[in-house]
Amino acid sequence: MTEPLTLHTRTTPAGTVIELTGDLDHHTTPQVRSALPSLDLRPGQQLVIDLGGITFCDSTGISTLIAARNHALSANATIALAAVPDRMSHIIRVVGLDQVFPTHLTAEDAEAAWHPTPG
Amino acid sequence: MMPRTGDEEQGGPTGERAQFSALLEDSAEDLYEHAPCGYLSTLLDGRIAKINTTLLDWLGYRRDDLVGSWHFSDLLTVGGRLYHETHFMPLLRMQGEISGIALELKAADGSRLPVLVTSTVKTGGDGQPLLIRTTLFDARDRRAYETELLRARQEADRERERLQTLATTLQRTLLPPTLVNVPGLDVSVHYHIASVDEVGGDFYDLFPLTEGTWGMFLGDVCGKGAAAAAVTSLARYTLRAAAVYDPDPAAVLANLNTVLHHEYNGTEPRFCTVVFGLLTPDGDQGGFRVTLASGGHPPALLMRADGTADYLPTPGGQLIGVLPDAHIATTSLRLDPGDTLLLHTDGLTEAHTAITGDKDRYGDDALLGFARVLAPTTATHTVTAIRDLLNTFGTGVDDDTAVLAINVPRPPSEEQQ
Repeated sequence: MTEPLTLHTRTTPAGTVIELTGDLDHHTTPQVRSALPSLDLRPGQQLVIDLGGITFCDSTGISTLIAARNHALSANATIALAAVPDRMSHIIRVVGLDQVFPTHLTAEDAEAAWHPTPG
Repeated sequence: MMPRTGDEEQGGPTGERAQFSALLEDSAEDLYEHAPCGYLSTLLDGRIAKINTTLLDWLGYRRDDLVGSWHFSDLLTVGGRLYHETHFMPLLRMQGEISGIALELKAADGSRLPVLVTSTVKTGGDGQPLLIRTTLFDARDRRAYETELLRARQEADRERERLQTLATTLQRTLLPPTLVNVPGLDVSVHYHIASVDEVGGDFYDLFPLTEGTWGMFLGDVCGKGAAAAAVTSLARYTLRAAAVYDPDPAAVLANLNTVLHHEYNGTEPRFCTVVFGLLTPDGDQGGFRVTLASGGHPPALLMRADGTADYLPTPGGQLIGVLPDAHIATTSLRLDPGDTLLLHTDGLTEAHTAITGDKDRYGDDALLGFARVLAPTTATHTVTAIRDLLNTFGTGVDDDTAVLAINVPRPPSEEQQ
């Protein structure tokens, strides 16, 4: 059974942080996709996806991370993942996305690692 | 709502009171006779003692026909009479009441009237049962509703069967009906369908390229259903065409990446993970040289003739279709007699195992352990063993699973050892 997914967004000077809790699968990913267009991302900012509460992630979950990355890049922003659970980190490594998504232990670490790019 | 005038406000309550009075004068006798339900009183043996006009009208009998001579069960159909005898009356005697029982009455003209029957036993002051009071509700509407529900359900079942047939047919078009025979190789495949309602996204193929060389691939498109099937189809044909154009495995996958990325970029990214292999006969001992390219796919497993087994990691290979310049990782090996190479999709390793419970997946380590027990083996044995393994998981396999094994058979003289 799918655990419901809860999505919480907050804004920091570095950019938006999306906290996801629950199962990220083909039942729940439309919720994340539909939240992307309304994110306020300014050029040079960083979109952080906090995955600390993710209990399960399937291939559609991975494609949602890619959709989020596409969204960030189209806003001239960057993307980072935080608190990636072990199993998800394994999947991300197998599909070679570890080279594409900078990852941090916590969302705070991700924020600290962000440097405003001169725009 | 109608606007009210001042007069009505004053006169209204008085008028309503008059109406209520008229209602209250409605005699209990009239209510009994013309109630919107049937009333029936019988003696303890079921003989009809009293019956209201509503029920008589429904049935088309006169009061004199029934009272004193007929039993309640005489009004029932044969099936209803049996039910009345064996269930209705025993329960009523035991509980003193029974409610909401669906029965059919036979009218004077032979027609049938579905009713819902409720009965209570009236007892005297000394607690002894005196008679049985029964109310009957016209259930024709309900019966029509049930018939309609049944019809809708049968229709839905037929639709579901049609959908399943369509999904299965579509699935078959995405897989080769039979794999070609490769001289000097034992080849075996299995496709496990997790859901008959939705087309899965796993695919594989094995096909001849230039003289003596063979191409093979196995992959997994993200997602399910028609949209995933479209990508699967595109991936399959692109891989075969690209292999003819340039059989170098990394080039084949780079070509697929370009095609998918061009087709499916944006807010609904579609990707696949895939292993592509090029097989070339090598030397005169029956061995094959195998070059594998991986685009973010779980690593292949090599089970050696000497009984060892290991993954063939292709680190750094990236999934196909969403990055403009996906990195393709390659590895090469020699498949000697007795060696077996296994490609699989992660439906196998992501399966919930019956033993470990809901949240635990079979996993890469368990599969490696399984392969170490199997080795040395053959393609046929490997695929049979994996089919058995999938069967033990039962419904724990929630994603489609494809496995493809190739093996260079040992010379017959060695097999007997």
